[in-house]
Amino acid sequence: MQSFSLSTNHNGLYDITPMAVAELAASGVTAGMLLVSIPHSTAAVTVVSPWDVRGLEDVNDEIHRLVPTRIDFKHQHDTPQDAAGHVKAALIGHSRMFIVNEGKLGLGHSQKVYFWEFDGPRNRTVHVQVIGK
Amino acid sequence: MSAELDSFLTQIRSLSDLLQEATPRIESNARTVLSTPEIYGIRHIILTGSGDSYAAALAVAPALRAWTGLPVQPMVSMEASRYVDHGRPPLSGRNRGLLVVSISSSGEAARLVEATHRLRALGAITLTVTASPASRAARAAEKTLDISIPASVSAPGTRSYVASLLGTYLLSIRIAEVLMCMTMDCAGALRSELAGMSNALHGLSESMEAAARERIDAWGLFHAADVIGSGPSFGSASYTAAKMVEAAGIHASAQDVEEFHHLNYFVDTPESIPAILFAPTRSVAVNRTRELVTALEQLGRPYLAITDDTSFAPAKNVLVLPQVNEFFAPILQTVPGALLSAFTAAKRKAAHYRGHTGPWRGARDAALVRNSKIELANQ
Repeated sequence: MQSFSLSTNHNGLYDITPMAVAELAASGVTAGMLLVSIPHSTAAVTVVSPWDVRGLEDVNDEIHRLVPTRIDFKHQHDTPQDAAGHVKAALIGHSRMFIVNEGKLGLGHSQKVYFWEFDGPRNRTVHVQVIGK
Repeated sequence: MSAELDSFLTQIRSLSDLLQEATPRIESNARTVLSTPEIYGIRHIILTGSGDSYAAALAVAPALRAWTGLPVQPMVSMEASRYVDHGRPPLSGRNRGLLVVSISSSGEAARLVEATHRLRALGAITLTVTASPASRAARAAEKTLDISIPASVSAPGTRSYVASLLGTYLLSIRIAEVLMCMTMDCAGALRSELAGMSNALHGLSESMEAAARERIDAWGLFHAADVIGSGPSFGSASYTAAKMVEAAGIHASAQDVEEFHHLNYFVDTPESIPAILFAPTRSVAVNRTRELVTALEQLGRPYLAITDDTSFAPAKNVLVLPQVNEFFAPILQTVPGALLSAFTAAKRKAAHYRGHTGPWRGARDAALVRNSKIELANQ
């Protein structure tokens, strides 16, 4: 497994596909699975089309519309943004698994892997594990 | 060494351990004392207290103001009690935006108890920072931030002052964090920096004692002193002046760096009145403080600059502290402030608080400040 550091400077999507590709290349695995996982409860991993930047903003805006930052969350140990971030992260999930075939990551033309920050700016970690032969 | 000096030094030397022990516990209390909706309702903050507690309010107010962007007023308890609720309707919605932080280690200072009652009746959110959660001030407030610390030997309040600083800093960081004026990482870093003061305090007293004593000896039997600082350091100046009065019985007064140039500069017989100057070089007031050194030299005032820069003034006039964030400087400044007071008392062979005897007998058991008649509005 390889761990990568990521410093987020705002809430939103951060392309971490290069981390996954780099670890896949380093592993030498040509057939199997690749797991991207993050050890955080106020961030998530997802797949989005990278081609229109405004599309990335739409995705981020929509989760904030669904789970806005409010001051009446029961979780008040940290900040309202943190409380909302827990809900968003729970909905999206903290890991994604991808097929590895012929040494390539099984992503389509319009797919990139994104780290989704809900409580930035923060210093984060991304784990990548490759399984196969 | 007299028993009183020994007790005072024991308190001062214990501050590192105190900070290490108390910070996580008080932080945990500060984290839950106000709910998120309550914090978002705050529009104005008054930090109030008397004596050391007012000095703590002065020391922390600039940090709370900077961290939150809210209007923050340090206020003596008489003003908070009698001069805020004038003509304002009680329990009005507008007053709910006022957070009153009443600071009192004992929680029994009558004027502060009165202020807390009256401002709660006005509709403010009232929060008492106290080491006595069952005290009158704690009972008067809606909320209590418990800053209890292990008991120590009797001496003019030093540990209790540092605990008050600690509680008020941690409350301030918490408010700023929840308001998202700073990120959780920033808030965490500030908390770590505050806890890290324990390292800076470790051995600090022992390293300064000889120099502090030497300076006091060089000044002879002075009867008055100015203690000067700006921003957070004005809190330290107020604390030090308080200890000079309590421990040594001299007429010491705190002054702001700018105001000194307008007022205390003109005092007669300048060569007989020492000036103690708090001058952290990361202070936004440092340039004016350098001008003050020039003025003191010109006046022939005996003086001591408590700073983090050995070149701030001639070596004999400098006591050096580790360099820290200006907002947290009061924690470290407590040590030289208390040491100078302890050695001044020892040199004068002065009983702390004049032994609460003779003309000072009225202060026995803190009766002077605890037994004052509490006046509640409309009663």
